[in-house]
Amino acid sequence: MKPLTLIVTLFAALALSACGTKKGFEKPGFAFGCPIGDQRISSMSDLVKAKTVREGGKSPDVEVEEVRCTTTGELLKIDVGVYNDESDVERLMYKFRWIDAEGMRAAEEESWKPLLMYGNSRQIVTTVAPNPKARDFRFIIMGQD
Amino acid sequence: MQANLTLRLLSVAALAGCIVLSGCAKPKTRYGDAGAVETVTNQFGSTDLQMLAEQMSQSMLSEAPVISSGNLPIVTIQEVKNKTSEYIDTRTITNRMRATLQKSRRVRFAADEADMKKQISELQRQQSEYYKQEQSAQIGQMVGAGFRLSGEISSIVKETKDVKDVYYQLFLSLTNVQTGIEEWSDTKDIRKTTQR
Repeated sequence: MKPLTLIVTLFAALALSACGTKKGFEKPGFAFGCPIGDQRISSMSDLVKAKTVREGGKSPDVEVEEVRCTTTGELLKIDVGVYNDESDVERLMYKFRWIDAEGMRAAEEESWKPLLMYGNSRQIVTTVAPNPKARDFRFIIMGQD
Repeated sequence: MQANLTLRLLSVAALAGCIVLSGCAKPKTRYGDAGAVETVTNQFGSTDLQMLAEQMSQSMLSEAPVISSGNLPIVTIQEVKNKTSEYIDTRTITNRMRATLQKSRRVRFAADEADMKKQISELQRQQSEYYKQEQSAQIGQMVGAGFRLSGEISSIVKETKDVKDVYYQLFLSLTNVQTGIEEWSDTKDIRKTTQR
């Protein structure tokens, strides 16, 4: 192999390995910025399934599409994308349940918040953790009627 | 004459029956979910109070730079004016916000105007001859707030024969006491419609 070819190959290999490390920019134990602990989350739908809880008898006919997290100061900030794929208006309630690093309740149970979703519409529900102890959360939804 | 007497007896029996039945139908009291969505009427209710206080606290924690910087600012709460047509104890909104913000450990609260009388009274009480002076709280050591939280709640009510629509808006702002600069403000809205 010529020295020039060797150098080019070496550079290409280095560049590729650099790209490879950049791909893993997410901290271990996090997916899409959200804390996941040691759960195996390989897609957004896995994350949505892990973070969403449907309570009550009549589950609202909406789809939780995505959950994304970041931090503001030391507080967890969350965006949850909800989609009403039906043509009818859907009325639901939601709240967040906050969990600390030990898996205990990090704050008092929130009150239910009503949410009206027009037919075929999307909404982003945004919240901020009530205190720095809240390291994990569950998005809880329930039908209003 | 006989028919009249029978009618009277029947009336008395029916009345007694009603009294007995109404006495048996006891009102049922049960505990409910304090955080449930309440839609009994479209007047300002518990869900509105809880929702406004929670959303405003979240907004302050994430959007007010003086709070999100983690410098533990000292805040005093001023009156939130009620400009709606109904009675709303706005202090219940700010009390709930205060509790949430205090638990966040990002804000401290100084005695506000409403608490000042109690605070002075306690300070003066500790100056009396009944207390060990070396352990008593000293006058002139209170810390003033760097920021004041104030605002107003207003409403627009529209009503026809069949529909009543109420729109509430809560406006709050956080102002630097020394400079007068407004460091944060936000509005939260609620719409409630009742159809007969």
